[in-house]
Amino acid sequence: MTTMLETKDLAYWYENGSRPLFKDVNLTFEAGKSYAIVGQSGTGKTTFLSLLAGLDHPKAGEILYDNETLKKIGLTNYRRRDVSIVFQAYNLFNYMSPVNNLMTAMAITNAEHRGDQEYAKRMLEQIGIPKGDFNRNVTHLSGGQQQRVAIARTMCCDAALVVADEPTGNLDEQNTKAVINQFQSIAHDQGKCVIIVTHEPEVAKQCDVEIQLADREFQTVVR
Amino acid sequence: MKMNFVKRAWLSLSAKWGRSILLVLVTSTILMFVLAGLLISHAASQATAEAKKSVGATLTLSANREAAFKKMQSGSTTSKPKKITMTPVKLSDAKKIARSGNISSMNATATTSVDAKSFDTVSTTSSSTGMMGMRGGSSSSTGDVTVNGVTSTSDVSSFTSKSSKITKGRGIKASDEGTNNVVIESELAKQDNLTVGDTMTVKQTTGNKTTYKLKIVGIYKASSSASSGMGMMGSDPSNAVYTSYTFANTIKGSKYKDTADSVTFKISNPAKTTAVKKAGDKLINTSTYSLTTDDNSYQTVKKSMNTVSGFANKIVWLVAAAGTVILALIVIMMVRERRYEIGVLLSLGESRFKIAAQFFTELVMVLIVSLAIAGIGGQFVGNQLGQQLVTQAQTSQTSETSGPMGQGGGQPGGMRSGGMGGQRSGGFSQKKAAKTKLSTTVTATEMAELGGFGLSIMFVSVAIGSLGIMRLEPKKVLIDD
Ligand SMILES: Nc1ncnc2c1ncn2[C@@H]1O[C@H](COP(=O)(O)OP(=O)(O)OP(=O)(O)O)[C@@H](O)[C@H]1O
Ligand SMILES: [Mg+2]
Repeated sequence: MTTMLETKDLAYWYENGSRPLFKDVNLTFEAGKSYAIVGQSGTGKTTFLSLLAGLDHPKAGEILYDNETLKKIGLTNYRRRDVSIVFQAYNLFNYMSPVNNLMTAMAITNAEHRGDQEYAKRMLEQIGIPKGDFNRNVTHLSGGQQQRVAIARTMCCDAALVVADEPTGNLDEQNTKAVINQFQSIAHDQGKCVIIVTHEPEVAKQCDVEIQLADREFQTVVR
Repeated sequence: MKMNFVKRAWLSLSAKWGRSILLVLVTSTILMFVLAGLLISHAASQATAEAKKSVGATLTLSANREAAFKKMQSGSTTSKPKKITMTPVKLSDAKKIARSGNISSMNATATTSVDAKSFDTVSTTSSSTGMMGMRGGSSSSTGDVTVNGVTSTSDVSSFTSKSSKITKGRGIKASDEGTNNVVIESELAKQDNLTVGDTMTVKQTTGNKTTYKLKIVGIYKASSSASSGMGMMGSDPSNAVYTSYTFANTIKGSKYKDTADSVTFKISNPAKTTAVKKAGDKLINTSTYSLTTDDNSYQTVKKSMNTVSGFANKIVWLVAAAGTVILALIVIMMVRERRYEIGVLLSLGESRFKIAAQFFTELVMVLIVSLAIAGIGGQFVGNQLGQQLVTQAQTSQTSETSGPMGQGGGQPGGMRSGGMGGQRSGGFSQKKAAKTKLSTTVTATEMAELGGFGLSIMFVSVAIGSLGIMRLEPKKVLIDD
């Protein structure tokens, strides 16, 4: 398997002079695999993910995507082309329908299927959104449905890296299962690299690789 | 450049229609006031241009009698009028001035008096007793009928100001030169049963008392306001007749051939009055003759219109500035309210510039709807405000001008001659100016200008408001909240 994402001596802290949340992080993430990042609350999982997503710069060390540093790629370019993000709070455009949310994301990221409404509808259908909801305002959908639309959005975009922060946090058991299956399919069928932050052991267990953040260090959980 | 932000703008506006309507209302209000200001400002400059045409300015060539005239005026009320020897104006001089440019027409006036022969004059019951005494003093040269010799009655100020009107037949024209054609007042016509086509005879008051047969070509009616203050020679204003200036010269005697008491020139562009007078002064002997200008009416209109347009311009800029501040604040608040959405856009890799472009596009869409609304409403506001401004400005202007130069500004020497005052002039300018109306209609020009203002306001507002977009960190809004 080819290495897609790599961290080199990565470190991050919020206040200058305070102890880093983590440091000397050296991890590699491969295409076609799903990763779960687990750990206690407040350890810095979300912070770490935001660095991988290109939403913030590391305080030390660097992140390489396809052997190029994010700094060199440029964070905006990186976000548009290479990474797709799913957050706990869905992050959909609240003034659009599910279809238009997907269309907008495809347009901005210049995806292969941009402008293809049928493709967007196929993706929505695939993750189980009822046809009748395709063109309703997205805020009229349930929490689980909205989360699935957010996941469909990452499927529409060509970005080979998908990062998700507690994507099942608000979902019931049944929805959680559906969402995890979707992520697995993205990794295994689309050949993307999926990195999920979760505190649900059930979710973590489903992923190919489980990494635990504890005592400022990331450790791969051997199963 | 990918234009996805235009679609987003439309989706946002149509989904959040409540907010969109509010934006349209605010924008329309701002634009309405800008438009009102633009309308008034345009109308004011238009009115000034119109005033040039209608009110106009005049230049009068007459004998240089400033000192003598003053002396006579002060003396006339207390003792008997003094006789002043006047040098009549040479028509050759007048023609030179007429050719010097910026003169649209020329009116020679020569005034004298004759005695009625074939008819009775109108006598004024109220003023005649008091005035008779005075008349007696200068009886040698004063007849019952005032003969106003002119080139053309249409250039006489009492006719241009509409205080006198031709009611039957026609006025005196340049082609009447050398004829005995006459235009008489309606009261006189009524009393003597005279009408157009009839003839009447008059008699010289001095010399060999020659009689002349006059042919009536027109009848005019003098309004009461025009005839007031006219009893200087003790004769009813209805006894004033108009003839060609050549006839008046004939009555006065052979040495008055090819002369006039005064010649009034109409200046085609009132803004050039001073220059025209300067050029004219070079053509005449200024110790014998003088050129006097009258552009008071033009100046009055111009001043009041300048006040109005100055005020209107202030409105435009004030409202534009206030509107920019208001809309900038709205955009700032909108950016705050929508920072989550902005964060999502940023996380998708959208450029900050295009996010600002989306906000700008939304406001431009709002602007288009608002322009239509403001176009309708601004017309109304403009009309209301415009009329009020004109009334105010002119009230203050009139009180200003009537102070030092008030009445004297009428038409110095325009129709005056010797010891007789057949002035059917003066005092018309202010009346005319007060009637100036502002035509505040919305045209394509105003709408285009308004659109320009609107676009600028929107652009500046978004530029200010989007500082928030530029500073926004996606991690903060997406994760930390
Ligand atoms: N903007 C910030 N400024 C300062 N400190 C912060 C900021 N954001 C997070 N922190 C701190 O950094 C630490 C890590 O936060 P982070 O959100 O990454 O933890 P987490 O592992 O995702 O926790 P959870 O499981 O509860 O989501 C916490 O102690 C938190 O208080
Ligand atoms: Mg977290």
